[in-house]
Amino acid sequence: MSTYTTTTVVTATVITADSPIAAYELAHACGADLDWVSQLVEQGIVRQEAAQAAVSEWYFDSADLQCALDARRLERDFGVGLDAAALILDLQHEVRRLKAQMLAQSR
Amino acid sequence: MDFKDYYKVLGVERTASDDDVRKAYRKLARKYHPDVSKEADAEAKMRDLNEAKDVLGDKEKRAAYDALADRVARGGAATGDGGFQPPPGWDSGYEFHRGPGQGPADHAEFSEFFSSMFGKGEHRGNQSRAHRARGEDHHAAIEISIEDAIQGAQREISLRALENDAQGQPSFVNRTLSVKIPAGVRPGQFIRLAGQGMPGHGGEAAGDLYLEVRIAPHALYRVEGSDLYMTLPVTPTEAALGAQVQVPTPSGGVVEVTVPPNARSGLKLRLKERGLPGKPPGHLYLLLDIALPPADTDAARKAYEQLAQASPFNPRRHLGVGGV
Repeated sequence: MSTYTTTTVVTATVITADSPIAAYELAHACGADLDWVSQLVEQGIVRQEAAQAAVSEWYFDSADLQCALDARRLERDFGVGLDAAALILDLQHEVRRLKAQMLAQSR
Repeated sequence: MDFKDYYKVLGVERTASDDDVRKAYRKLARKYHPDVSKEADAEAKMRDLNEAKDVLGDKEKRAAYDALADRVARGGAATGDGGFQPPPGWDSGYEFHRGPGQGPADHAEFSEFFSSMFGKGEHRGNQSRAHRARGEDHHAAIEISIEDAIQGAQREISLRALENDAQGQPSFVNRTLSVKIPAGVRPGQFIRLAGQGMPGHGGEAAGDLYLEVRIAPHALYRVEGSDLYMTLPVTPTEAALGAQVQVPTPSGGVVEVTVPPNARSGLKLRLKERGLPGKPPGHLYLLLDIALPPADTDAARKAYEQLAQASPFNPRRHLGVGGV
């Protein structure tokens, strides 16, 4: 079997509050739809200050994308509802924060 | 490339039902989830588990995998070096697809074995769709140094896919993306490479590739968000009397820092905006660590004795016991 190699130079954009992704992009990145994004906001899994505005006007940063991807994986792999996913993610974040704190104190 | 026994990874029989696969995955995921596991290789085990579940949890992929495993068992897919190479046409008759609700296409972190088997299948399945739809986004992680995060860097990322060439023969296509990582990226942030995900369907645009930024462990600095932390060793004399000490900064320079008199171990000094760049920039925190000079010469021992006489000090007073 033959092998080809191609090299492409690509432009990278960092997802931040100044350079966010739209709600439909968040949905697409997670293999989901806009209704699912609305549920994420409703459950408080992602932050949305403009929650009263139309979904098409919602924008998200990297932290939101990470939470959304984690929630999607929990749904898919463990069959949990988004309300349970929200609690699991809160606990996971607390575990990571405490572990980082312990690591810092042990140095 | 080694053949991966996904049934062994999940600890199930070949005859296992979907429910057996799901239960085995969930049980092992609890054991090896990096947030809770005490196992040394938890992260690698979790990656294998995710990969195995992705294949055995999908009817089409599992059927194709079983057919391939049979060929391997008959010795039909081994290479001369004892490794494994999927034979051309091994998956004929199978069409893979990723439907709505199946989550993101996050195979980029999976093994070469997985990619060589299922990269093509999903690709072809997607092409066979009649409707128009944008290609799926892909996800991967990229580990960079603190220095790269501060100064920015150019990195090459290798992706591998199985595609048909002009003669219709399957060929591996290695794509190398030369990515310019902007200065000031932080751990946990995502970098988006537009149009580098899966191809679109029916003339629609390709998906994007999202790279999650991870910062490699550093000998001196630890990252927390946009802030950096460094342990700064000082002598008892410097801590007691105060001193000006030199400190290396992650951007390459050296700055002079004032240690205040009577500083205690663990005291946190802040070097404003010397952390990761950005809006706002992070700070560099120095955690004082009082390092004792060894009492390994007569002169040093005598100096310690003189200090004890000159400055009687009982560090255990709060325990209600006396000093020496």
